[in-house]
Amino acid sequence: MSETPRQIALREWDDAYERLRAAGVPQPAYGGPLGRHVAEGDTRLRKLRFDNSLAALRLWDFLLTEEDRLQLARDAGKKLVGTMKDLGTVPVMASSLDNLVAFYPDGAWWIPCVMEVNSGLLQIADSLGIDESFCPVRAMLGAFVTGAHFPIPDLLTCSVGATCDDFSAIAQRLNGLGYPILWWEIPHRRVPEDNEGGVQLPGGFRAPASLVRFVRSELERIRLALEKLSGRVIDEGTLSRGIAKANHIRRLLAELRQAAFTATPCPIPALEMLIAEMLAIHFCSDQEETIAVLQDLLDEVNRRVAAGTGYGTADTARMFWVDPVADLQVMNLLEDCGGRICGTEYLFAHALDPIPTDVPPMEALARMALADPMVGSATDRAARIKAEIRRFGAEAVIVSRIPGASHCALEGEIIGEIVRAECGLPVLEIEVPPLTDAVSPSLRTRLEALVETVVNRRSR
Amino acid sequence: MKTIVYTCPYVPAEWIAAHGLQPRRLIPRPVEGTATIPQIEGLCPYARAFANDVAASEDVDGVVVTTMCDQMRRIFDLLVRRINVPVFLLNVPSTWQTVTARQLYLGELERFGRFLVRLGGCAPDREKLTQEIRRYSVNKELTDLYPALYPSQLPPGPLSWVWQQTFQSMGGGSERDLEGTRRVPIGVIGGPLMERDQVLFRVILECGGQIAFDGTETGDRTIRSLDDRYLSSDPLVNLARAYFHIPDPSRRPNSEFYQWLREKLASHSARGLVLHHYVWCDKWHAEFERIKEWIKLPMLRLDSEGRGEMDSPRVRNRIHAFMEALR
Repeated sequence: MSETPRQIALREWDDAYERLRAAGVPQPAYGGPLGRHVAEGDTRLRKLRFDNSLAALRLWDFLLTEEDRLQLARDAGKKLVGTMKDLGTVPVMASSLDNLVAFYPDGAWWIPCVMEVNSGLLQIADSLGIDESFCPVRAMLGAFVTGAHFPIPDLLTCSVGATCDDFSAIAQRLNGLGYPILWWEIPHRRVPEDNEGGVQLPGGFRAPASLVRFVRSELERIRLALEKLSGRVIDEGTLSRGIAKANHIRRLLAELRQAAFTATPCPIPALEMLIAEMLAIHFCSDQEETIAVLQDLLDEVNRRVAAGTGYGTADTARMFWVDPVADLQVMNLLEDCGGRICGTEYLFAHALDPIPTDVPPMEALARMALADPMVGSATDRAARIKAEIRRFGAEAVIVSRIPGASHCALEGEIIGEIVRAECGLPVLEIEVPPLTDAVSPSLRTRLEALVETVVNRRSR
Repeated sequence: MKTIVYTCPYVPAEWIAAHGLQPRRLIPRPVEGTATIPQIEGLCPYARAFANDVAASEDVDGVVVTTMCDQMRRIFDLLVRRINVPVFLLNVPSTWQTVTARQLYLGELERFGRFLVRLGGCAPDREKLTQEIRRYSVNKELTDLYPALYPSQLPPGPLSWVWQQTFQSMGGGSERDLEGTRRVPIGVIGGPLMERDQVLFRVILECGGQIAFDGTETGDRTIRSLDDRYLSSDPLVNLARAYFHIPDPSRRPNSEFYQWLREKLASHSARGLVLHHYVWCDKWHAEFERIKEWIKLPMLRLDSEGRGEMDSPRVRNRIHAFMEALR
């Protein structure tokens, strides 16, 4: 579809879909009008605005049909691995074998948003003692109890140690309900001391070789569990092929990010970019299709860049966004307020960096796991954010706190302090609950004020 | 002698002392005036109070915090930036069932030792460490170990015991209250207690309870008594083993804590449990319902913002009602 880029509402997409279908435009097997998901309860879609490209439609359809895909995989005799918290490492291992499918039960954190709190998941979490003082990922508990949002996995893994307390506590509650969990340790990343061997990690940080060895040994336990589950051996060749596929996805995303964050006008909206980036973590349970979806999106973006079409103008305020939003609608809101995304750090930067291929695969995965922004210090996160701000030319930073998340209490303070001092940029810290309708006016005012600040600073 | 401040129970005081330095387990007090860390939504009051108390203290030569909770891990980031005292982050694994996790902890203690040497401590030989372990172990003077926790006018011992003694000195017996009715044995569990919130034990006593056991982070759950068995081979290895197995709900899985609780409940015939935690303490908060389901005993959850609520009429009324229901 070569229409001028614009954001359209769900109803308009459904009408457009009918026209496309009638015209014989090929659709993937999971394709269909987005409106059908509303009938299944995803009512938030009615309030979002979507990019009008076919590539974006495919992206949304792919995202919203993951549950069906998991069920199909199980029906086909594949084993399901629920990988919790590590955001990008274990799925690379699991995806190396074609009879395993990995997914993140953590993804349930968006269900209260997408279903506008009508799923009852938060109420179930409440009844289990996990109330609103916890991160919205508590919806995962309800999803396990109801079994209505994803099939119960055959194996559950969870990384703990240098992770957020919310998730660790919620996962332990899940374990207490009778779901066995293979816990693996991800220690706090620190810099090597004098006379202590150091290892370069993806993303530019260094860690002691002993810490990398430790993580590698933890991942060996995961490998054994996956082998037992699949009945197959994950040898170096198998793992290397899995890493190569993951790196293919990361390369596509790198190109996409470069174009999306630097081209003027902006070739793709913030919301679709958020969804696209998320694919790097979990491949939406289908690595091959992830590659096809992202390639489609990249082709569309490249077409738009070449044609000079897109969203906003050269005057649009360039924002760097820190942490994912619990309510997807906020990404639309940013654009309404005159902003665009020029750089992101959604807590999984390690899932975007290329996995090293010049070292044995388990070593490479251990290095990648240790590069996780969550396991390092907020100062490390700030360093990475600073580098990306310079790379993409952002003019302000938005830190969107996740309600109740243990890391959000202090991270914003430190990141804000460093970015203000060393980049001289304004920083806005907001909190985004799963549904922002009630706070939307104040959020809008704050985002508009930030945009105004950015514009005023240009004229100084 | 240089003073090293910590609050997490996974920091072995013996190890600090063996380096010729003074360990001080800091139980935070409210700090008046300018705070190093302001009040922030979502921030654990204990973690904040610890950081502010450390920053306000003039007699601190080093600080050690651990990774046992995410908030304290992040407090490390802020302390490094905002105070002029060396700070060390001790990596305590959440998992405990693998040899590698135990080795990681041991390695961290060795790294901590090097930090202490950089601060002016002396790397201890086996004899020195053994000596310190003995000093802190058999019939140890807890006032040495926890000077902030045990005011000089009170006898040494776990807090629950301290308050029992206090109560007896007020004229009450441990089994009977002033009206002669039988007291209700209660277990107290939870995270650390700030200094002014330790009044909780007195309030329980005054409401007709008897502290059956003190399972708070500053109580006997976390106090390691190392006898001579631990000195037979490498004392550091054995010290690490003892501290590594402190039962705590933050471990994954946290079955060691439940095993400890089962033993305590059985041996002390507690008829109810009081769980205290500070707001935003996810690990204790999340455990409440599970413990309640598991022990099948009445439980009372008290959360506080660290503003001295434990002595408030509201908390007193809740504890009183809880005791009445158990009588």
